[in-house]
Amino acid sequence: MEDFLSDDDYYDSGRDSLDGLENEDSGPQWVPSKGPTCKVITKESLLAAQREDLRRVMELLSLREHHARTLLIHHRWDVEKLFAVLVEKGKACLFKEAGVSIVEHRDLDAPPPPTVMCDICIEDVPSGETTKMECGHCFCNSCWTEHFIVKINDGQSKRIKCMAHKCNAICDESVVRNLVSKTNPDLAEKFDRFLLESYIEDNKRVKWCPSTPHCGNAIRIEDDQFCEVECSCGSQFCFSCSSEAHSPCSCLMWELWVKKCRDESETVNWITVHTKSCPKCHKPVEKNGGCNLVSCICGQAFCWLCGGATGRDHTWSSIAGHSCGRYKADREKKAERAKRDLYRYMHYHNRYKAHTDSFKLESKLKGTIQEKVSILEEKESKLRDFSWVNNGLNRLFRSRRVLSYSYPFAFYMFGDELFKDEMTNEEREIKQNLFEDQQQQLEANVEKLSKFLEAPFNQYDVDKVMETRMQVINLSGITDTLCQKMYECIENDLLGPLQLGIHNIAPYRSKGIERASELSVCWGDKVNNSGKPLPPHCGSTADPLLMLGGTTESDQPSGSGSSDETGYAPRKRAKTNVPGGGRFDLNLPADVVDRN
Amino acid sequence: MWKGINTALLGRHGYNRQIGLRKASRARLFKEYKEVQREKVADPDIQLTCDDNNIFKWTALIKGPSETPFEGGVFQLAFAVPEQYPLQPPQVRFLTKIFHPNVHFKTGEICLDILKNAWSPAWTLQSVCRAIIALMAHPEPDSPLNCDSGNLLRSGDIRGYQSMARMYTRLAAMPKKG
Ligand SMILES: [Zn+2]
Ligand SMILES: [Zn+2]
Ligand SMILES: [Zn+2]
Ligand SMILES: [Zn+2]
Ligand SMILES: [Zn+2]
Ligand SMILES: [Zn+2]
Ligand SMILES: [Zn+2]
Repeated sequence: MEDFLSDDDYYDSGRDSLDGLENEDSGPQWVPSKGPTCKVITKESLLAAQREDLRRVMELLSLREHHARTLLIHHRWDVEKLFAVLVEKGKACLFKEAGVSIVEHRDLDAPPPPTVMCDICIEDVPSGETTKMECGHCFCNSCWTEHFIVKINDGQSKRIKCMAHKCNAICDESVVRNLVSKTNPDLAEKFDRFLLESYIEDNKRVKWCPSTPHCGNAIRIEDDQFCEVECSCGSQFCFSCSSEAHSPCSCLMWELWVKKCRDESETVNWITVHTKSCPKCHKPVEKNGGCNLVSCICGQAFCWLCGGATGRDHTWSSIAGHSCGRYKADREKKAERAKRDLYRYMHYHNRYKAHTDSFKLESKLKGTIQEKVSILEEKESKLRDFSWVNNGLNRLFRSRRVLSYSYPFAFYMFGDELFKDEMTNEEREIKQNLFEDQQQQLEANVEKLSKFLEAPFNQYDVDKVMETRMQVINLSGITDTLCQKMYECIENDLLGPLQLGIHNIAPYRSKGIERASELSVCWGDKVNNSGKPLPPHCGSTADPLLMLGGTTESDQPSGSGSSDETGYAPRKRAKTNVPGGGRFDLNLPADVVDRN
Repeated sequence: MWKGINTALLGRHGYNRQIGLRKASRARLFKEYKEVQREKVADPDIQLTCDDNNIFKWTALIKGPSETPFEGGVFQLAFAVPEQYPLQPPQVRFLTKIFHPNVHFKTGEICLDILKNAWSPAWTLQSVCRAIIALMAHPEPDSPLNCDSGNLLRSGDIRGYQSMARMYTRLAAMPKKG
């Protein structure tokens, strides 16, 4: 919110003077309140990403890594919650609930018996072929192995329990890994990956990037789950529902909209309601008017309701030579309704699509506009700063997005599907007027902005270029403010606090969707330099996990395997540097960024 | 690519493992069979028998626990043992009609945690029978498969529950007197 206000203030003061606006171009855009809040987690940095959480738990409770992992998996990687349970219920309870056994069963004093009876296969097995888990239960290795295989294949890698009656203990991951890898190395690898990926799968702060083909990354956010993010692969998505970024449309509305657009039944409905095939020549015949007697171009008259051939004479309710048992008034109403619904849908869909389409076209325009700029740059010596062109273009993209998604929003906000009983017709009308007023203002200014940017300003004289520049800067400010206002209107005037729990909408970000920054990873070092000698066990379990990143990256030309040991994730893509200095950090569509 | 690449590889090992598991479960069942013969005298409340032709099919006769409405009744259970046994639990159901909140009145299906997620490979068919006898004595009305029975208990109508259960025990689980 603070960000919005400062932006608002900014534009209010900036509109008066050109210099003020110029500052916008060159000066710092805003003061980020908390710094970048979302991070890209690549397969290389996945282990490092969880290191920090692991380290905190390990240090506070002086635990081994696998115990810390078991605790964290149990508490869905919510370190704060884990610590709260610790304070509230105590260590013993925390461990017991998560299935961590810290009691060491050291029977080293007494020499083990030569054979042990395994309670699972009821077989006497040489002691060397048995394994005692930390909970103290001992079974033969082949029974353990089979148990692990069944559990891993069941997708329960993250919580493989001991085989004994009522024993809640989670099996030591290194035992699982060692035993399984002897007979089934592929499965052991799968087990490792499941453990690692728990950090993504079981963590409400982390989500896979939904790109297809999958870029392999996940995104971690710090606080607000209702936000839109951009992965380093360029794909932008709604963190809350993992579909494309769709604000100011809510997740629920977007889901319905996508389904509706995919589902052509509405069109099909219309066709079945509005055309029938002639009983004689089988051509589809469209009905017009309220009369149920229709005639085909072949000359055949037939009854609209049952499709049966008839004579020609008729009144409103009866048709000569034909007695129709199927006439029902509400059938007619249904048809009317279907038609109305379809027209309504088409109205919103057309506008939604028009903006999406122009958004795509304008992405292509980016290239030609760049050319215009370079022509101007050569020609004019007085005008050197053309950042306003890029800024205007980026503002245009941003506003088009907002405009485009505002149509599905309006479709549901003022339709019967979601809010029929939430407001009276009068209320709906008032709200709709309010919203459409804003929408139209935004639309008009966006089109103006688009027109100025498309104009052949490279052929203009200096004064006219200055004029265009002022218009573009001015319109950029106006559209930004209007977008901002639209989100505010939705939040405050349309949905209200009650609906906001159901219809969550990512806040408007003037600068565009936040681009997740790559995780700067140095926790791997921190763990080792923390002064505390780590149990030797830790190093040995971490290794196979670390290697995982290196073994599956054949699709990575940038060869990053060597950096695994330090835990530093390589900066894979330099494309985040958008021409124009990247200062005006608006999101561009992925394909444009790629081309640049 | 990163997620789930190993399904093809798994398939390759799948077949042999299946045979291995079948062999292991056979061996274990055979051991249990021998154990049952030995324990027959020790636990007169349970009589487990294996199908002559199929070691994966068992039946058991269990005595209704004393001081319960099932006292005096003999109840028949059917076991279907999966190939992954004992890593996975056997399927057990009552063949004898029984009025109990955790047993489906029509199918005889039993709602018991150790037959589902709380299963441990250390259980045996014999110990499952014991757990079922314990369930008969201590019903769990909060997860009822038989709602009528569960509701009687939950509403505190112990008497109503007991008389219904006793009636069905007499009707279905007691040898008819000539
Ligand atoms: Zn064994
Ligand atoms: Zn145990
Ligand atoms: Zn991605
Ligand atoms: Zn969403
Ligand atoms: Zn015709
Ligand atoms: Zn007519
Ligand atoms: Zn008719």
